[in-house]
Amino acid sequence: MAEQAYTVASDSENTGEEKSSSSPSLPEIAVGIDIGTSQCSIAVWNGSQVHILRNTRNQKLIKSFVTFKDEVPAGGVSNQLAHEQEMLTGAAVFNMKRLIGRVDTDPVVHASKNLPFLVQTLDIGVRPFIAALVNNAWRSTTPEEVLAIFLVELRLMAEAQLKRPVRNVVLTVPVSFSRFQLTRIERACAMAGLHVLRLMPEPTAVALLYAQQQQMTTHDNMGSGSERLALIFNLGAGYCDVAVTATAGGVSQIKALAGSPTGGEDILQNTMRHIAPPGAEASGLLRVATQDAIHRLSDQDNVQIEVDLGNGNKISKVLDRVEFEDVNQKVFEECERLVVQCLRDAKVEVGDIDDVIMVGGCSYIPKVRNILKNVCKKDEIYKGVNPLEAAVRGAALEGAVTSGIHDPFGSLDLLTIQATPLAVGIRANGNRFIPVIPRNTMVPARKDLFFTTVQDNQKEALIIIYEGEGETVEENHLLGYFKIVGIPPAPKGVPAINVCMDIDASNALRVFAAVLMPGSSSPVVPVIEVRMPTVDDGHGWCAQALNVKYGSTLDLITLQRKM
Amino acid sequence: MKCCYKSSSSILSTNHHHHHHPLFYKQQISSLPPLPSSFPSTLSYPTRTRFTSTRIQARLIHDDPVKESSQDLTFYDLLGVTDSVTLPEIKQAYKQLARKYHPDVSPPDRVEEYTDRFIRVQEAYETLSDPRRRVLYDRDLSMGFSFSFSGRRRNRYDEEVVEEKSEWKAKWQSQLSGLRRRSNQKDDNSMSWAARMRRQRQDSSS
Repeated sequence: MAEQAYTVASDSENTGEEKSSSSPSLPEIAVGIDIGTSQCSIAVWNGSQVHILRNTRNQKLIKSFVTFKDEVPAGGVSNQLAHEQEMLTGAAVFNMKRLIGRVDTDPVVHASKNLPFLVQTLDIGVRPFIAALVNNAWRSTTPEEVLAIFLVELRLMAEAQLKRPVRNVVLTVPVSFSRFQLTRIERACAMAGLHVLRLMPEPTAVALLYAQQQQMTTHDNMGSGSERLALIFNLGAGYCDVAVTATAGGVSQIKALAGSPTGGEDILQNTMRHIAPPGAEASGLLRVATQDAIHRLSDQDNVQIEVDLGNGNKISKVLDRVEFEDVNQKVFEECERLVVQCLRDAKVEVGDIDDVIMVGGCSYIPKVRNILKNVCKKDEIYKGVNPLEAAVRGAALEGAVTSGIHDPFGSLDLLTIQATPLAVGIRANGNRFIPVIPRNTMVPARKDLFFTTVQDNQKEALIIIYEGEGETVEENHLLGYFKIVGIPPAPKGVPAINVCMDIDASNALRVFAAVLMPGSSSPVVPVIEVRMPTVDDGHGWCAQALNVKYGSTLDLITLQRKM
Repeated sequence: MKCCYKSSSSILSTNHHHHHHPLFYKQQISSLPPLPSSFPSTLSYPTRTRFTSTRIQARLIHDDPVKESSQDLTFYDLLGVTDSVTLPEIKQAYKQLARKYHPDVSPPDRVEEYTDRFIRVQEAYETLSDPRRRVLYDRDLSMGFSFSFSGRRRNRYDEEVVEEKSEWKAKWQSQLSGLRRRSNQKDDNSMSWAARMRRQRQDSSS
């Protein structure tokens, strides 16, 4: 670590980067990075195929953690761990993908409180306090900082091997990430000196790899126009994601997405609670032993678990598969729910699904495989992809495509047509969430709706933007807000407020608002254009504060159909 | 740089104003005379260029002859197919056009123009690839409403009303609500944090 070529930039407000929807002027090939909750990988198009980089220990999968024990924090790329337990002494921070962009009222944050490092919550809607134990003192950090330290190491490693600067990246992200969480990922990248070309929902990266395989095997090239439908299921340590994609001629059209923060970490914690005697501290040893047992249960019907917790406390237990599945029933039900929801949203019949693709570390769990086979009525799971490498390979392909790289053999004649995983809309009609761009709308997209005032002579209106699926605003993620001023005096219901939302190919969301009055041929005040999200940490407060301050005085309702 | 987005001249009428049917529109003009015609027929926002801080000022452009002409195209015209086209052909045409107009693959200097075009192609595809919506659209076409993209009209064919009736939805819905019920009893993972917080508060206060 003597020659640290790059240091993490300060955690300042701006990501400082603008995503480009066009190819950059430099023909630099963007690298693909799959930041997993527990493991990361990095890959790049090498001119003829995707090449996954290896760290100094010859690993393609690099453990996602950062230890703070020395002067300079060190991540899993450079750091050598003697034992798995070393990661669990409190000096290492991991699972940052579960924590990033979440406030301290979030159950996912609360579920992280029994990890060996410090996750402290005040339960008021601000970011949690996260710290690592260094020389018996808690050294505070943030998920963004931890991720940035890790990304800097990945970047150094890639630059050493590729012998060129690495700047542009395509990252995979969970489907269920809110736009606010995506900005935290972008900020971590900016801190690490990386420029995000695309943030791809994980199963859509796999879909692109699948599209390439289909194109290569069929040499179809739009010839027959035959379309293949695939369901892609990803269950990693932190998240479950599902996508349905329609593929033809190298084009992967995402028909629907579904996801939730359910994953191997939940399975691990449920199983640990089951194994440990009541009142036992969650120890690193127990965690390692449980993890190991879960892995072995993928091939065995039962496993023997032996853990010495110290102080004469020993665990000696046989865990069988039925017991394991019982303990994790909730998790498996959630997986099934997401698959069914995604199939429904994609409007496809199960019989039309050509391939079921399973990726992610937890896709090896027999119960999960059975659920997929049952719901999709398939005897076989697609065998053409490596479950642990598919996402990063897809990200690397997207990196090459968006960098404008062409392949003489047509291996990069690929395209992903993304869909919005969550609806975006505004608060109107009281406390309702009115989507302007619905969930699973193909991107790029631009849609608008008209609203009107609720008070006579209402001069101002609050536009409060949310993202999510809930019918009331509280169930959704707040993205930002702004005020329209200068509405001419008129009875309620007369002014027409047009709210237009635009999502470009790089997934940037802009919101426009215009005021129209009868008799005028153009908006009566300048149109407002705001890039979302605008909220920052502690945004849990904002909606409540707005409500306290303004009540319903600046409300809007949708313009009703007058028959 | 000019715009693409045409919004309605008949904002009065609807909740999702673009569900608006031309037929209704005509009826409404008579019942509600002054209002609809007095709103601008074209509301234009800046196109999807990269957002830069220097480009904050939003602009409104009222005349855009190039785009006006493509507005006269039918959905079939936009996809470059005839009205006897089959569903696989529609899908194929859409994917071919996507490879030309999608911003990821279009020439850097034409991204904006192509993106606008791509959005129209998507609207056409969404309607024509759904048999129910295509029937509605064909009926309108045969009645002489030959139009394609317009902000106002585009959702005319993708109303939930159309969707709710379809059998696949009913089928999935029952399965899904069963799963939801089960998981809601114990598992809060699918809810937003706010909803979970409310529930937690309810639980703790009760």
